[in-house]
Amino acid sequence: MRLWHILRSRLRSIGFRGRRESDLSEELQLHLERETDRLQATGLSREDARLQALRLFGGVEQIKEAARDARGTGAWDALVRDTRHGLRRLVRDWRFTTAAVLILGIAIGANTAIFSVVNAVLFRREAFAEPDRLVNIYQNDRSGNPMIVTSYSAYMEIAEYTDIFSGAMAASIPNPTRYLHDGAVRDAVVEYATATYLSVLGLQPSRGRWFDQTEERRGAPIVAVIGYQAWTRLFRGDPAIVGRVIRMEGVPVTIVGVGPATLRGTLDIGLGTDFWLPVTALPAMAPVPALRDAPTIFAPLFVKARLREGVAVAQAAAAMNILGRRLAEENPDQFRNTGEFALGPGITVIPSTDVRIHPRADVPFMALASLVLVIVGLVLAIACSNLATLLLVRGAARAKEVSVRLAMGATRRQLVRHLLIESLLLSLAGGIAGCVLAWWGMRTLQTIDLPFRVDMNVDYRVLAFAIALSLVTGVVFGLAPAIKATRVDLLQTLRDEGLQPIDHRRLTLKNALIVAQVAISVLLLGGTSIFLQATSAAREQRIGYAVDGVAMLETDVRFAGYSDSAAKTAYDDLLRRIEAIPGVEAAALLRGLPMASNTMLIVVDSATGQPGSEVEATMLEAGPGFFDTLRIPLLYGRVFDARDRADTPRVAVITEAMARKHFGAVDAVGRRFRLQTDPNSWTEVIGVVRDTGTGDFEDDIIDPIAPPYYRSYTQSGSQATTVLARTSRDAASLVAEMQRELRAVDVTLPVITAKTMAQRLEESRAVPALVATLFAILAGLGLVLASIGLYAVVAFAVARRSREIGIRMALGARSQQVVGSIARGVAGLVGVATGIGLFLAVLLMLALRTSSGSAGIGIGSISVYRPSIDPLALLAIAAVTALVGVAAAFVPARRAARMHPLAALRHE
Amino acid sequence: MSDQTDVLQGTLDLLIMRTIALEPMHGWAIAQRINQISDELLRVQQGSLYPALHRLEHQGWIMAEWGASDNNRRARFYALTKAGRKQLTTEVEKWERLSAGVNLLLQRT
Repeated sequence: MRLWHILRSRLRSIGFRGRRESDLSEELQLHLERETDRLQATGLSREDARLQALRLFGGVEQIKEAARDARGTGAWDALVRDTRHGLRRLVRDWRFTTAAVLILGIAIGANTAIFSVVNAVLFRREAFAEPDRLVNIYQNDRSGNPMIVTSYSAYMEIAEYTDIFSGAMAASIPNPTRYLHDGAVRDAVVEYATATYLSVLGLQPSRGRWFDQTEERRGAPIVAVIGYQAWTRLFRGDPAIVGRVIRMEGVPVTIVGVGPATLRGTLDIGLGTDFWLPVTALPAMAPVPALRDAPTIFAPLFVKARLREGVAVAQAAAAMNILGRRLAEENPDQFRNTGEFALGPGITVIPSTDVRIHPRADVPFMALASLVLVIVGLVLAIACSNLATLLLVRGAARAKEVSVRLAMGATRRQLVRHLLIESLLLSLAGGIAGCVLAWWGMRTLQTIDLPFRVDMNVDYRVLAFAIALSLVTGVVFGLAPAIKATRVDLLQTLRDEGLQPIDHRRLTLKNALIVAQVAISVLLLGGTSIFLQATSAAREQRIGYAVDGVAMLETDVRFAGYSDSAAKTAYDDLLRRIEAIPGVEAAALLRGLPMASNTMLIVVDSATGQPGSEVEATMLEAGPGFFDTLRIPLLYGRVFDARDRADTPRVAVITEAMARKHFGAVDAVGRRFRLQTDPNSWTEVIGVVRDTGTGDFEDDIIDPIAPPYYRSYTQSGSQATTVLARTSRDAASLVAEMQRELRAVDVTLPVITAKTMAQRLEESRAVPALVATLFAILAGLGLVLASIGLYAVVAFAVARRSREIGIRMALGARSQQVVGSIARGVAGLVGVATGIGLFLAVLLMLALRTSSGSAGIGIGSISVYRPSIDPLALLAIAAVTALVGVAAAFVPARRAARMHPLAALRHE
Repeated sequence: MSDQTDVLQGTLDLLIMRTIALEPMHGWAIAQRINQISDELLRVQQGSLYPALHRLEHQGWIMAEWGASDNNRRARFYALTKAGRKQLTTEVEKWERLSAGVNLLLQRT
């Protein structure tokens, strides 16, 4: 009860300050009146009685103050007063306030937005139950490095170890898959998983159920579990989703459940998994036709298992090693080959909590992530040091005000409190601006059309961190001048500012901050130049195939439920119609998009009877007429034609790069190779064509694909999906004409892709261009921030030196000399800073050049562009920085030069 | 603050609480009542009365409510809270122990 009374009384004191004050006045007034009445009753006149009462009473205001203090609200009142005063000050110094709030807002907002993206892609952790008992299991390559479990049968063997594991599960690397929804073909991310998947992770479906063991059998009707995010986003949380049939890659799939809300995917790298299908559904869905009829399911699988109670990781590792050796003995075929990617007998067991993506991908991936974070951190550092500079400058400029207030009797505590509140208000305003900018930035980033979808949310921890950092900066640098200012020699400052000795020290805190800011900006500009260099290098690359006049149209007859023979007729009809379009010079059918590559492992026939070497190669899809349509020159042998059918021996056309690298001669016609996953897939080289770029030139520069070869869809037993055509007229109008022909064949056929070759190339540049733009924005922001800081410092220095300038000008110095002396100071600072920044940028470039940067795990790699050190770019950066420095210094310098000597002398 | 003030303040709190224990009163009446009952031996300074009242309210021992005074003016009436009543008992005991001790000391020396 007492607590309630206390709380109520305090809340009322704070909340109803006005009423409390009037209550107090009224109460005291009543007291005075009663006292007057009493005294009047003793015989005094009314007036005398009132005076007597007042005398007895003492100071009304003092009593009020004492009563207020008794309530403990004095500190609150002071806070309100200081806040009001602070707000008034900040409004009056609106230039300073705007600059500071902008700096903070940009720093907090930009950082939060960018970090949220990085965080979504790299750092988010899955909420698995008891994660410390989960282990990841990998098969090793021949040198003992973990790869990935490559076959379903190997996983089944691992899952047999029920004395070690209470459960094991496998899930494929996320696969891009198409499905039909609302009449349109859409892209989805699909994982092929085992029936044990969810129970091993210790999670529950949020609706329906996970698929069971009978549905994991090969040939069973295909079912799927939809991801929670996909369910809410694509189906608006439709409760009738369970039981619904969706056509995926043309195959009807029944939804049996909705995944847990907390689960985005096995690999949480921002790619949310939309559907989980049984691993045995993989052959039916496979985008690579070669896998469709394979007797064993070969798929890159992530295997996780839950250790039984009391089983140590080492025990599991020992058991898995025995298994690895047994597997090697039982399936010698799989383990016979040599080469970088050949399977070895070892098996690696690692606690799941120690792995982010893959043991071998984590290091470069984290390095990349750290780089982004470092950049973002640098911008934050610039902003904070900038704010510090501004506050320092302002603090020094307010020395006089502080002295006056001290002289008037303000205590140091009051002054410090006041300045502190002002800093906090500033940081708060910056924080709010930051929130708004972060929110806006995220919205903007989300509208950018990326080839993959990233689930992004403003990361509130980061937002809180950025705001906290800005608060600390505000407090530290807001307070430092406050304390310094309250130590000023009263008389000295009040008497005459101008007689203060001029600060000739070079290494002041302000100068150091400015140099740091400019240097960081230069470093960021250096980073931007690397991206620009990579982009321009990609643009200048030889494409090697026709782009002008080339258009493509992709559909998939499976979505319209065609039989195989009906499909062939439909495509042949479509091709004939498109060939007949006026202006079309050549056309071809193929599967997938032209120049889309698929990296795979192949075994090259040694031609000496020895076991083949296992190497990485890239398969591109082609069909009869393909090379003619894209004008790719044939060097040796022949290209695909009607002779190459599903029932004739497998053939391939290879590039000269592959011929040279794997067969030792450009004329490799007649040589053989096969897929690593299928011992019966020997393929004969029938022709060698000139090298070309792929559909992704940016990637060709940064991370060139393994030597490519072409296969024809006519041999994989699957249908074509795409018509490729070259016209002598406009490619864009050809796209429209091709779509018209498609509708003429069958209106129910969905248009999956309809674009020109030029558009396709441009799209491949979207992501690198986005990265380069982000980097450029960051560098630009850094430079803008640094120039604001530079401006503040120069303006302040000029203001401080106005008396000196006045004297010099009165003694005959010309304005050029004044500007010159200021410019020399600025030039020194900017020069030193640019030097440091360029040095760091060159170090960065050298580090990138020497980085190995790539980590093959058989599923792709992460690479960085290796820049060359371009003196012109460095010179340009120095010039830009110098220009910005001059601009920042020019305004205050000119003001000084224009000052009338008398005005300068009277200044302040 | 010196010890003396503390003792006095504590005593004033006791006097106020004892006075309003019978019925709710406004500030002036409290001062008058203390004055009358103590046969004008004790005189409460207004300068300390109101801060004491506000402090006691702040501490939750007493609560204030607006009501009509005897001459029909709006006045702020102070009454003991439940916790205040308990506190009064403690304070009275403390005071009795203290005065007994002081009396003993004065008589025996």
